[in-house]
This record gives sequence, C-alpha cells and structure tokens, in this order.
Amino acid sequence: MNLLESLLTGLDEARRHWGQTVLSLLGLILGTGSIVTVLALFGGQTALTEQFLNEVGGRSTIIVSDRERSAHPGARELASKRLTFKDAQYLRARAVSLAAVSPGWAQQLPYRVGNTSFDGQVIGTVPDYMAINDIKPLVGRYLSDLDVRQQARVAVLGWKYADSLFGVATRAVGQLVSIGGKHYTVVGVMEREEFYFAAWESNALEYRNERAYIPISTAIVQHSAVDHLDFLTLKARPGVGGRAAQAQVRSLLFARHGVEDFDIRASGQGAGGEAGQFLLLFNFIFLVVGVVSLITGGIVIANILLASVVERVREFGTRMALGATGGAIFAHVLAEVLVVTVMGGLLGLGLGTALTGVVAHFMQMPAVVSPFIAAVSTVTALTVGLLAGLFPALRAARLSPVEALRYA
Amino acid sequence: MPGLIEARRLAKTYRLGQVDVAALRGVDVDVGAGEFIAITGPSGSGKSTLMHILGCLDTPTSGSYHLDGEDVSGLSGKQLAQVRNRKVGFVFQTFNLMPRLTVEENVALPLKYRGGVPRGERRVRALRLLERLGLADRVGHRPDELSGGERQRVAIARALVGEPAILMADEPTGNLDSASGAEVLQTFAELHHAGHTIVLVTHDPNVAARAERVIQMSDGRVV
Repeated sequence: MNLLESLLTGLDEARRHWGQTVLSLLGLILGTGSIVTVLALFGGQTALTEQFLNEVGGRSTIIVSDRERSAHPGARELASKRLTFKDAQYLRARAVSLAAVSPGWAQQLPYRVGNTSFDGQVIGTVPDYMAINDIKPLVGRYLSDLDVRQQARVAVLGWKYADSLFGVATRAVGQLVSIGGKHYTVVGVMEREEFYFAAWESNALEYRNERAYIPISTAIVQHSAVDHLDFLTLKARPGVGGRAAQAQVRSLLFARHGVEDFDIRASGQGAGGEAGQFLLLFNFIFLVVGVVSLITGGIVIANILLASVVERVREFGTRMALGATGGAIFAHVLAEVLVVTVMGGLLGLGLGTALTGVVAHFMQMPAVVSPFIAAVSTVTALTVGLLAGLFPALRAARLSPVEALRYA
Repeated sequence: MPGLIEARRLAKTYRLGQVDVAALRGVDVDVGAGEFIAITGPSGSGKSTLMHILGCLDTPTSGSYHLDGEDVSGLSGKQLAQVRNRKVGFVFQTFNLMPRLTVEENVALPLKYRGGVPRGERRVRALRLLERLGLADRVGHRPDELSGGERQRVAIARALVGEPAILMADEPTGNLDSASGAEVLQTFAELHHAGHTIVLVTHDPNVAARAERVIQMSDGRVV
C-alpha cells in the first residue's frame, strides 16, 4: 500500500468514526481558536501602540536629556553647563539633519485663578514644540517666536487646566492666571488630547491636558534664573534617518560640552510608559493562555488517539495478518491525525476569527486576524496535532501481529 | 506432491516474567499443495503457536521453515508482512472484519495492502469471490448487519482474494451455531475440492474429522 492510499484509508477512517474525530477536533479547535484570538488582539495592541507613538510625535522624534552625573565626575564633566537653551539654539543653527529643535523646561508650580489653586506642570518651550508633538490650539494661539524673544508673560493652557481654572475651557483666552506667583496672560487653550488603549483604560494622553506652556526664555528668567533645560525634543528632517540625525546631534553637543553628559533616544523607546508595561503584561498573559490551551488540545488529541489505538489493537493485528506492514499502520494512524488536525486547525481559525470579533466588540479593542496570524496558528495546530499523533502511531506500528490479534 | 510447507524442528520459547515457557519443542510439519490438514490438541498444546509460525505471524526461536519454497525463518517484519499478504489467507474465530467497512471493502482489503492492484480490479475480484460464496446480495452491507455464518464466509472471501498458496483457519466455527458451523465447514470442503490448500486449527474432534489428515499436538510436540 503506498502513502497516498494509506492517507486515503486514514481519511476514510476519520470519517467513519466521526464521534472520536469530533472529540479530538474540539481540543484542537479550542486551542487554535484561542491562539488566533490572542495573536489578533496582540496584533491590534501593537498597531495601537504604533498609533500612540504617532500621536505623541512619531518615531522620528529624538529626545535628549541630561545623563546622571557620574560618581566621580572629571574636570570636564564639572565644567559642563549640561543641557542649555544655548545648546538648543546652537543645534537649530548647525544641525542640518534636524527639522525642528525644541528646548524643554519643566517644573511643578502652583496655579491660581481667584479661589481655585493647585500645583501642576509647567512646560517652558518654543513654537517648534507644537510641530514636533503634533498638537494644536483649540482657541487662541500657540507660543510665537516673538513671545520667546521678548520673554513674554504669556501662557497656553492644556484643555483640562483651562477647564478647571475658568469653568469653560474656551473662556480662558485673554484671562490672567497666576503661575508660580507670576501673572500670565492666557493666549490660547490646546485641543483636548485623548488616546485609549482599551475602553476601560484612562486617557493615556491626559497628562498633556494637565499643563501650561510658557516661552522657554520666560521660564528661565522668571522661575529658575539659570540657563538649564530638562530635555530637548528634536525632529529629524524627513528623509534623514533617525540614526544619522542622532549621530550629528551627539557630535555637536559633545563639541560644546567636552564630555558626553547627555543621553539621546528615539521617542519610540520606552514611550507609552506605564501603558506599555501594562500591555506587555496583558499580551504575555494572553499568549500563555493560548499556548496552554493549544498544548491542552494536543494532549487531548494524543489521549483520544491513544485510546482509539488501544481500542483497535485487534483491528491493527488483523490488518497486519492481511499484509499491512508497520509502516502502513503508522501511515494509517498518522493520516487520521492529519485529517483531524487540518480540520481542527481550519475550524479553530474560524472560531478564533469569530471570537476575535466578539472580544474586539465587547472590549473596544482593535484586533484583526491577518493572513500571517492565520498561517501561524494553522501551522501551530498542525505541528501540535502531528506531535500528539506521533506516539500513538508509533505504538500501533510496533505492535507484534500475534500479540495484537490476541489482544482482548 | 510438492511440499508447500516444510518445517523442521520448530521451537518457540516465550519468556513469562522470570520463566521461559516452551510452546513448541521441535515440531516437523509437511503440507503438500492441495492438502486439507487439521491441527488439533487441547488448549496450551501449542497448536495456535504453530499456526502463527506457519502463517508467518510469528517467527520460531529455532528451526527452519520453508513456505512455498521460500525460507521464511529469517525474514524481517516487513518481509513477513509481504509473505502473509501473498501466500497466506487467514480466517479467524471471531471473524475480525473491519466494522466500519462494507463487505466488499473488507474483502478487497488484502489487495489494498498488496499495492499495485488498481481499484477497479480490486472491486471485480472481491465481487467475484463474494458471488462464489453466495454473498452477492450482501456487498454493500456492514458486518454487523450479517449473520455469524455470513460474516465468516465474508472472512473466507477476504482470505481468498489475494489468491494465497495456503488458507489458514483458527477455530473458524468456534463462534458459530452448529448450522452455520456446518455451512462454513462445507465451504472449506468445497474449497479443498477446488484445489485449495487448507490448514485448520481446532480443538473440536468433529471439525478435525472433516480434514484429510490430522496433526495431533500435545505439550508442544506432534504426537
């Protein structure tokens, strides 16, 4: 009997005792189904993270910050002024690979309007910051170059602060707000920014609604007296690789500082912060669940097949008496497995796709079963099924005809 | 008469835990083409073991065995399977039909394992035998839809489909009522008449009496 015929026999066999076939199928279907769902959700989350990164300025954004001082700083390191507004101006003039340079200064300062007061974040920056971070004013305007040059006492409020300080966000423009004990005129209110990784999660961009932007020059003069930045946000020119831009920034800053006392990273790295951490955990748990259920499916198949082999030992003995070789019996059992796993894999894919739709709908999460996911899960199901069937098939093939015939 | 079966000093020892059990202790058997032999003896006498070795289901611990001129005592498992397929047709006490296959598929099964026999020819040969054994109206049935006697005749058809040199039957009437048993024995008699070589294992003296020659076994020896 050739291989094709063995396969056909096995296929026939799977069809003829469909009760057992259905049972083995269930294990595989459930396992594959959950793998598909997990991968689809995983894929959806990855797409969402990508979307979030774009929302916060894209992957081409480069962030420069002070490196922690070494334990025993050398003379050069002590002499360095660290990141300064002058560095920013220098980069803006010299770094041709950059499209935008935005110095950043950040402090927690008390806000007050009338009887309402609280401590909140204040960002000292320049007009480029808006372009880099892809943010827009809802009413009024953003900071201008003139504001920076004149050290103007103007502030652009985040939506949330404008709302809580003035009742209605749009009414804030033209009003006075006290920040860190100095009065600022509100010239604009930013659009409300929202991004949800899942329906039940809080707004991942809420921190952007809870701050005020003031000119960097004003910030330094009014609130710190020393020219020192907390961070520098840079945007590479389109067409220039992020790495090339980073290299140029590194060499320019090194020339000014005489020592590498700064860190440069792409915004993609570590972006998302807690949300990213949560997602990682979430995906990990789901993946474990999927793998466990597929392994369970495999064990179920192995069990059922083993039982069905034991149940048919005499039948295999008879087949051997009629001239079946061990190889033919092996192919026979394996063909049954193959039929079951292919069917299980495909039905599981169907179930997974349906399940993905349901989960995505109820959990308000994006999830798509891509062809890649379909292929991966089907191949996984096949592998698990074949591995599970291998042992029973080997056992059946190694039976001695006499013992198999005597088996009660 | 050409010797179809020539077995010399066949011995078979099983290991049961710590003890070696001798099932055959040097048996010589000769069967000529066209003979109808009965192997008989009480249970434990070694008659089944002898039939398993003669039918190439098992190999002797020592001794030589030529089946249809071929030395089969040193063959591998795969080679033995091929010898069984071509030279031996088995009939079992419990029929051993495949419950999920139709009568016709059951009968054609040995040809499937032989390989190289086209589907159409397998079908034709199965149908021809079923007709000869009076089962033409049963071809599409499943074994459990048949009477015991009919099942055993299907099994005989399956044993014959590969045109084996020898037909081996192990207690073929053991699970049948006397009327069906007589029918089956009549079938064997007719096959013998038509020139088939038959080796029948039974503990029933009445069944053994139908054979031309009786090999009486006791304690692993021919007596």
